[in-house]
Amino acid sequence: MAQAPSLASLGLAEARAGLLKKEFSARELAEACLDRVSETEPLISACLHVFRDEALREASLLDAAGPKAERILWGLPVTVKDVYLARGAPTTAGSRMLKGYVSGYEAEVVTRLRRAGAVLCAKTNLDEYAMGSSTEFSAFRPTRNPWDLSRVPGGSSGGAAAGISARQAPGAFGTDTGGSIRQPAALCGCVGLKPSYGRVSRYGIVAYGSSLDQAGPLARSVSDCGLLLAAVAGPDGKDSTSSRIPPEDYASLSPPEPGRLRFALPRELWEARFDPETEKVLRAALRLLEGAGASLEAVPMPALRFSVAAYYVLAAAEASTNLARYDGVRYGYRAPEKSDLLGLYRGSRTAGLGREARRRILLGTFALSSGYYDAYFRKAAQVRRLIHDAFSGVYKGFDFILAPVSSVPAWPLGSFTDDPLTQYQLDMMTLPLNLHGGPGLSLPAGLGGDGLPVGIQILGPAFREKPLLEAGLLLEGLFPRLPEPPLKAL
Amino acid sequence: MKEKDWEAPAAGGEAARAAAALARLNLGEDPEEAGRLEGDLAKIVGYMDILKECDTSGVEPMYSPMLDPQPPRPDEPRQGGGGASPDSILEAAPETFGRFFSVPRVF
Repeated sequence: MAQAPSLASLGLAEARAGLLKKEFSARELAEACLDRVSETEPLISACLHVFRDEALREASLLDAAGPKAERILWGLPVTVKDVYLARGAPTTAGSRMLKGYVSGYEAEVVTRLRRAGAVLCAKTNLDEYAMGSSTEFSAFRPTRNPWDLSRVPGGSSGGAAAGISARQAPGAFGTDTGGSIRQPAALCGCVGLKPSYGRVSRYGIVAYGSSLDQAGPLARSVSDCGLLLAAVAGPDGKDSTSSRIPPEDYASLSPPEPGRLRFALPRELWEARFDPETEKVLRAALRLLEGAGASLEAVPMPALRFSVAAYYVLAAAEASTNLARYDGVRYGYRAPEKSDLLGLYRGSRTAGLGREARRRILLGTFALSSGYYDAYFRKAAQVRRLIHDAFSGVYKGFDFILAPVSSVPAWPLGSFTDDPLTQYQLDMMTLPLNLHGGPGLSLPAGLGGDGLPVGIQILGPAFREKPLLEAGLLLEGLFPRLPEPPLKAL
Repeated sequence: MKEKDWEAPAAGGEAARAAAALARLNLGEDPEEAGRLEGDLAKIVGYMDILKECDTSGVEPMYSPMLDPQPPRPDEPRQGGGGASPDSILEAAPETFGRFFSVPRVF
């Protein structure tokens, strides 16, 4: 595969500068990205819907009105995961249940992206209803990793991360319920931010775990993630969980003095069993950071031992409630059952929902059912409080928590599809953050000897995305810069 | 984890079937699929029992990380946010009868 053409390779900030100086038009930029989509889709299948005609029309309209510097994403191509409703466009959430569904309204994030001048180019692939860590549970097709086409891109925002990595677009939006932005960003060698719970409106986003889901950006640099966040952050009256705490200025960032930063390294995560190449890259990253003068200290967070169990009870319980709405009556797939209402529900849900979604609904329904509620659901919520308090305790003595994103690099397709528990346990590095609710930024730490990218994440106190991004800027400057992915099977 | 390392807890076949009934799901058309889901559930719930090792006496459950819940807005009819209209919502229904969603007879 040839290298991406220069316009498609530009990051958001560089492309924005070029657009404002009229070095190229919004249409030329959109065309370069859409051509790159056509060229790379047969290899990676990152997109479920591509809006070529609409995007080019929108870009031409922007060009006709002229550049507007106050619209911070003016003329910039972006993608959204196929859980964001966009008016008049299909939204499947990666499920057969919603095949053919076209929404009559749209997500607040999409409305704000349009207002900021962004050009929506595609909706990206995911594990069905964002339930998974490999994008193999998409009902339509798996996405492949641009660094090695025989491997998964991670998930559930695997299409978003693979597309960013393959230069299909300079910016993307995903969602992160237990690591679904940060883990695919790490496995595909890009940057992904899970903002604080409540920082970005969830209105119009297909719900999975409502106390855990958060929308956030993926891009090829930390400052580009800041630009994307700046376009969408802030209160929304249509989402009662969106926070009124005013956003910070994420569009202008400067790295802090490394000597003043104190990072906590949770023992329970750093003492996990690692793939040797992953461990080498992570240790080298820690040495670089320490060499720059930052203070790193191992801290015990014993409650994290219970985080996988607590998370999967709570997320499954919330999923079983949220997915109750798919009943074959108001939208989505309807079974041909004519005689009996309960049979219509059962037939529609069993045929429309994939195996992983049904597994989590069953687990969640079990945990919420009479006789088991206290032992599982309430207990998991109590453990969540202990995990939350452990984070708050660490932030009293440290600026940030530094953690691996995944103990393994991208794995070959099909490795864990029949072993759900092992796949759940692989999420142990990312899901504690969603139980806490604060922000986390995943960025590339380097390439392993196997040619696969390895990510590291910085976690910080709630609603302090700006200092988190600024710390990310510092790390990004210290760590090796990744080349373009080869788009080949290794 | 090997098969024999976990004990089938209460979430065996009967609990799985009860959860499926509550969740309005069939466990699967064929017995093999149903057996696999029952087995998965037993294994996963077996792992969740690690929660029992965590001392949570006197700990208040945390159901949301929200710091500043928004007050409910006034209960007034209005055009849906993001442009939803009754027509656009009905258009997405698999079967309608006039201005209604259609379901099989319930009486």
